[in-house]
Amino acid sequence: MMANRFCVSLTHAKDNSDKATVAFVVANAALGSGKETLVFLSVEGVRLAQPGYAEDIREEGFAPLRELMESFAKAGGTIYVCSPCFKKRKLDENRLVAGASIVGGAKLVEFLSDGSPCVSY
Amino acid sequence: MGIEADEIWDAGDMGCGELVLELRARLTGLRPGQVFELIARDPGAPADIPAWCRMTGHTLVSQEHPVYRIRRKENR
Repeated sequence: MMANRFCVSLTHAKDNSDKATVAFVVANAALGSGKETLVFLSVEGVRLAQPGYAEDIREEGFAPLRELMESFAKAGGTIYVCSPCFKKRKLDENRLVAGASIVGGAKLVEFLSDGSPCVSY
Repeated sequence: MGIEADEIWDAGDMGCGELVLELRARLTGLRPGQVFELIARDPGAPADIPAWCRMTGHTLVSQEHPVYRIRRKENR
């Protein structure tokens, strides 16, 4: 039986805007295919959870990252933000993009434990 | 082509995640049994659209790239 969940793990932001963009395109494909979809942001990827950060990320041939992220949130996608990665970078936990919440590893493990596939960027 | 489409959407060069996310929203807006005509020129569409239909339960009525006809599934 096909799993009803899908996870995309993203560890990059402006250090690899190509990967950051494709991760959200794939997440939108999962969401569009009717999957309960999670984007897990960790390492540098957590910077994307700050409003405005993705503003100037636009890869040729792709929609701007900000738009991809907004479409994802609007369609009901969930974004988990790695708490220690976020704290290490001294980011503002009171300002998060739509759909995002700061979590510890247990939340990711719980999501994946039901048999969710996960693709990593 | 035989079947009259109830709605037509020219998605142009849109592909991959953007395409299916928008497609999902548009199909949801139809009534069960209605036929949606999608025009998608993305080179991934011939593989993606049938896979998307298999996953979502909508019926791919015809496929002649770039034209795809999809019948909306029943509400469950």
